[in-house]
Amino acid sequence: MTNIEKVFLKIGSIDRRWIFIIIALVVVVPLLVPIGLPIRATDTSKSVYDAVEALPKGSKVLLSIEYSPSTKPENHPMAISMMRHLFRNNHKVYVTCLWPDGQFMAQDALNQVAVGEFDKKYGEDYVLLGYRPGGEAVVKGIVSNIRKLFSVDARQTKVDDIPMMDEITNFKDFDFLFSASAGYPGTIEWVQYAADPTGVPMSSGVTSIQVNEVMPYVQSGQMVGVLAGMPGAAEYESLIGQKGSATSGMDAQSVAHLVIVLFIVLGNISYFIDRKRSRKY
Amino acid sequence: MKDKQFWLVTSGVIIAFAIYWLLGHPYFVIDRIVMFFSILSLSATLIYYTRAAERGEEFYLRPIPALKAVEEAVGRSTEMGRPILYVPGIQDMDQVETVAGVVVLGHVAKMTARYETSLNVPVSRSIVMKAARESCRDAYTVEGRPDMFNEDMVHYLTDDQFAYAAGVNGIMVREKPAACMYMGKFYAESLILAETGNSIGAIQIAGTASQAQIPFFVTACDYTLIGEEFFAASAYLSQKPELIGGVKGQDMIKLAVIAVMILSTILMVLYESTGFGFNISEYLTIR
Amino acid sequence: MFWKRQVPIFIVALIGSITLFGWFIDQPDVKEFIGDDATQWFDVLASFAIILGALNLIKLQIQKVLYQKPGWQYSVIAVLGFIFAIVAGFFVKGVDDSVAQWGAHVTSDGTLFKWMFDYVFSPMSATMFSLLAFFVASASYRAFRIRNFEATLLLVSGIIIMVGRVPIGGVISSWFIMYLIVLGLGIYVNSIKKDTKVTFVFVAVGVSLVTIGGIISDWPVDQPGIFYLPSIQEWIYYYPNVAGARAIMIGIGLGIFATSIRYILGIERSYIGE
Repeated sequence: MTNIEKVFLKIGSIDRRWIFIIIALVVVVPLLVPIGLPIRATDTSKSVYDAVEALPKGSKVLLSIEYSPSTKPENHPMAISMMRHLFRNNHKVYVTCLWPDGQFMAQDALNQVAVGEFDKKYGEDYVLLGYRPGGEAVVKGIVSNIRKLFSVDARQTKVDDIPMMDEITNFKDFDFLFSASAGYPGTIEWVQYAADPTGVPMSSGVTSIQVNEVMPYVQSGQMVGVLAGMPGAAEYESLIGQKGSATSGMDAQSVAHLVIVLFIVLGNISYFIDRKRSRKY
Repeated sequence: MKDKQFWLVTSGVIIAFAIYWLLGHPYFVIDRIVMFFSILSLSATLIYYTRAAERGEEFYLRPIPALKAVEEAVGRSTEMGRPILYVPGIQDMDQVETVAGVVVLGHVAKMTARYETSLNVPVSRSIVMKAARESCRDAYTVEGRPDMFNEDMVHYLTDDQFAYAAGVNGIMVREKPAACMYMGKFYAESLILAETGNSIGAIQIAGTASQAQIPFFVTACDYTLIGEEFFAASAYLSQKPELIGGVKGQDMIKLAVIAVMILSTILMVLYESTGFGFNISEYLTIR
Repeated sequence: MFWKRQVPIFIVALIGSITLFGWFIDQPDVKEFIGDDATQWFDVLASFAIILGALNLIKLQIQKVLYQKPGWQYSVIAVLGFIFAIVAGFFVKGVDDSVAQWGAHVTSDGTLFKWMFDYVFSPMSATMFSLLAFFVASASYRAFRIRNFEATLLLVSGIIIMVGRVPIGGVISSWFIMYLIVLGLGIYVNSIKKDTKVTFVFVAVGVSLVTIGGIISDWPVDQPGIFYLPSIQEWIYYYPNVAGARAIMIGIGLGIFATSIRYILGIERSYIGE
């Protein structure tokens, strides 16, 4: 057996902790030393952007936040970019949450964008309705009568005392829905119980792993495009012309994917050498 | 036509509905009539084959390696003197997958009672804890080993997804079970659990209908029940005729769905290209 | 036995039937029951049931500490964490009523509960999720082997999706992919013919053709589109992937339907231990 073959065989049985160390390095280094790879928007991300861009000024948009800190790197940039896009076009934003953690995420995003960047007025430009337990029952409640479900907002203010809630009684009063979702309840429940039955256009930003489940709805036209994971968030940031954390994460993700492919190739070379050796003996 | 009672009841239901329809069908949502008939006919198919199995008709079920491996896994754990870890998913009893997971747990508990192997079932929901305990208690009683049952073998960890994954990982690394079974609804924590189980050298059997998690389980586990194989697990493990008949009924329903899909595609192509026929998608759309 | 067998089966059959057939009934009270009340009953039950779970958790952890079982130190942390969360949620707000009312204090800045969420819960949640990055690498490395045709197909499509989905895939020219394909085919030809001359001629002709094609078309990065990774990746996502996903979804849907009907009709009774 040649020395090269011995090296590859050793690589094939490497302790997985070496793989962990290498992955850690290839993720951390591009975050500290950005490469600046160009982001190319896919059709699904462009569809979301075009749909929001086409909304008449002052449209009422329901933004639903259902993710937790664990998927913040994927979903939070989507929520922030969407808020930037909506506030830039002077739409009215109504924020609701199907997850309890979602309320924290929504509050953070609103503080950063609505208060910090656009100086929007609570109750006139945006409102945080908050979290209600019940999963799809909340979605059905919003479809039938939102005021029955949300008698007060997240600040315990009566919904009747909030000026921008005057025109809202149920889901059909909204012009668009965007759901930043990481699982259940989330995008699929919004499609099944709200957007598809009522005809209100909707779009969503989901984690990469959920794209498989959601793509049939995009293909059938029940959803207008989808932001697929951190790449989707980075694409949306490039479309609105304001880079954020997703763009900076794409360098790290690109290099990490290449390294994983390299591991797979090396593993297969080792596998073939081992198989050749076994056949020989 | 062998099952006279079935056809009698079916005819009765059809006649009753016809009378209701002729009387003006009060309160009925007409837009959903196609869905209503679909549900009735699919349910009738299931009931027909269930009754056929109960009458003694034999139905062939293809062997599923993952289910054969369950007993092997329990035997391996007994030989090694190490426990079995059973994870019934991270959702509550309102999900059908969780109920299916608790059902399979009952069968696994029978095997652990028979082989006197210890069983560890960490759960993520309190209601699942109660249901799983009852399932295990009854399994141990049926096997004649109620003394071996301990309530704490089914214990609650936390509702939070990743805190639960951390807790189960801790149990795996400390107790080093010989077999890990993941049967229920899972999300992102599936790979964390499966990889940790792989690192301790346990035999791993997974079953889930969570579409996004199936690839992770297939990659990291020794055996995986994919989608409806998981729902059919109860029939396989119990070998009860009525459950096997239900699986057969499910297969016949699938044949019917395939036939409808092919027919609808042909009709839609004809309608959209030549205008001949009708727009079948209007009838098949759920409102 | 009546309460443990017949009553549960009756409740399941009744509520299941109402929820299933209530969807076809256009009556406000029925619609409200199946749309709101039924799911909210479950949430109320689950919320009270959490007390059982919490008591079980505390009991087991305290037992571990009292009997000094292996790892009892972690149980001390678990119990202290539990108590801290209860105190932060119900007893100590950390701010005045003017800053945040009880209820709103869980999301208001400056409160003890928000501090716990931002500096304890969020980092730990993110850490556990980030383990996936490492485990995906080690699982891929271990599992993706060219054992047969299907495994090869899985490997190739996996690599295309992984590289095509990220920005670096857009930078890789389709001509580079064509060169790789020529080299890969060369290896395959060599394994069949086992003749160095034939392999050399094959590879030389392939490389020449690709080079001539590139020179003529001026090396566009994304043309021909059939070899451009992002385009291939999108096609795989939209067509084979969605087709497979739909098929599995239909199968799972039927499985859920059949299982639910078995529970409603009382054919499957394992959930009550039968």
